[in-house]
Amino acid sequence: MFGKGLITGMGITIRHFFGKKATFCYPEEKLTMTEHFRGGHLTIDYKKCIACQLCAIQCPNQAIKLKVVTDANRKRHLESYVHSMGRCLYCDLCIEGCAPHALSWDKDYEISTWHKEDLVHQVMTDEDRSYLAEVMTQAAANPTPPPVPKAAPKPAAAAPPAAKPADTEVKPRE
Amino acid sequence: MPQTETYILNMGPQHPSTHGVLRVNLELDGEKILRATPMMGYLHRGIEKLLESRTYIQGVPYTDRLDYVSSMNNNFGYCRAVEELAGIEVPARAEYIRVIMAELNRIASHQVFIGSLANDLGASTGMLYTFRDREEILDLFDLVCGARMTFHYIRVGGVARNLPPEFAEKCRKFLDRVPEFTEEYANLLMGNEIFQRRLKGVSRLTPEQALAHNMTGPNIRATGIPFDLRKVDGYSVYPQFAFEVPVGENGDNWDRFRVRFREITESARIVRQALEGLPEGPVMAKFPKMLKPPKGEVFSRTEGTRGELGFYIVSDGTAKPYRVHIRRPSFINMQALDDMCRGYLIGDSVVAFSAIDPLMGEVDC
Repeated sequence: MFGKGLITGMGITIRHFFGKKATFCYPEEKLTMTEHFRGGHLTIDYKKCIACQLCAIQCPNQAIKLKVVTDANRKRHLESYVHSMGRCLYCDLCIEGCAPHALSWDKDYEISTWHKEDLVHQVMTDEDRSYLAEVMTQAAANPTPPPVPKAAPKPAAAAPPAAKPADTEVKPRE
Repeated sequence: MPQTETYILNMGPQHPSTHGVLRVNLELDGEKILRATPMMGYLHRGIEKLLESRTYIQGVPYTDRLDYVSSMNNNFGYCRAVEELAGIEVPARAEYIRVIMAELNRIASHQVFIGSLANDLGASTGMLYTFRDREEILDLFDLVCGARMTFHYIRVGGVARNLPPEFAEKCRKFLDRVPEFTEEYANLLMGNEIFQRRLKGVSRLTPEQALAHNMTGPNIRATGIPFDLRKVDGYSVYPQFAFEVPVGENGDNWDRFRVRFREITESARIVRQALEGLPEGPVMAKFPKMLKPPKGEVFSRTEGTRGELGFYIVSDGTAKPYRVHIRRPSFINMQALDDMCRGYLIGDSVVAFSAIDPLMGEVDC
């Protein structure tokens, strides 16, 4: 009979019309993100970070720009850490590459902005900056003497790049 | 006797039925199509060149963006090519997880196909049903990798992380629902007379024509040629699973729809078997972090959701590939659009386009 298929189809529609809703009211009700959710702003546990720059090296699209400063004890610290969310692929390579597990996502999925400039996210907080200033002054106040070079120093690998007193900035790869 | 002449109609690039940005030049005689020329390139991002300027491992997230409806299959294809090039042995558990993910993604992709085909035919309701069920697969992916699109879960050497403990149970729950929702689609769409009349006998292709166009995937299977790389090449752990390759008879739009519709059930069968036989062990092979494959070239092909997805990679021994070429099934299948449209009406061109199921991200690459 012509039209039988139509009626069967309408039957399904009617059944769902009186059935359970598949949707929910979004701004009032919100989803909780899963454990491994990749998205939102990049956050850094500043005290854990060893400023190894691996996250910036791993990034396929140079979304992470960071500056490293060396204190009087030749220890490296982050001076600034910028995450360009517009460039980010949210591929998770930076977080997986982070050896001390200092990086994470804040899982906030409402990250759309009105302007392109707002997508540039300063990852370091004011608290982190004051902590950095504190560490720098402390190190300057009581510097530990540099380790006495051994009779047979290990080449290359043993010499940390932190030996450079000046600030180093990760340059974008060609 | 009045003189008539043909005229050119420009369809797209911003047309709701072109699934992205495709422009088709239609040469018309009244309502009848004499020639259809697809004009591509509106979504070109130069992914091949992007892959050449990144290391092998950094390239994987870019393959997500080729065919963004079935990213897992793209990751799978690229990673297999790199592994073949570098001679990396993938652990058995990782292979099983990869097959589970690829097949789940195939189901999700075919659901998008059914939904968008229904939408192009004017049955917007059909789209909502398939997208509702696709959510469940996306939730599963979200659970394992933390993303609902652009998964970047299958990596060179294995997979990103082990399956969470609750995955198997949730996946089985979804698989139990497969017969339920396929029946619903069948009742809602396949039984519908309008749906059948719009598809049956329209845009027919003979096996010879399909072969001449080098079509692959469900499009060639609809013409009756059982060409499925999962059977033909038997790559990864596919030979260990029992599944059938659905084929069509007439090579018309109805068969293209039917083949994909039946593939959903077959893919669900594969996932169920893979979940049963999932071995324990590591999910990532051991290889140096800065991967430098030896000099050489490789062409590795897998069965993507839209056909034969091939990656041709040339290595010059450095950390970055010297050349990457991607054989995108959508791009090649699209060439048959002209043959499929000739002699039919404008409304059928939209259906023909939808039945090929190309994805513009992959066509333009």
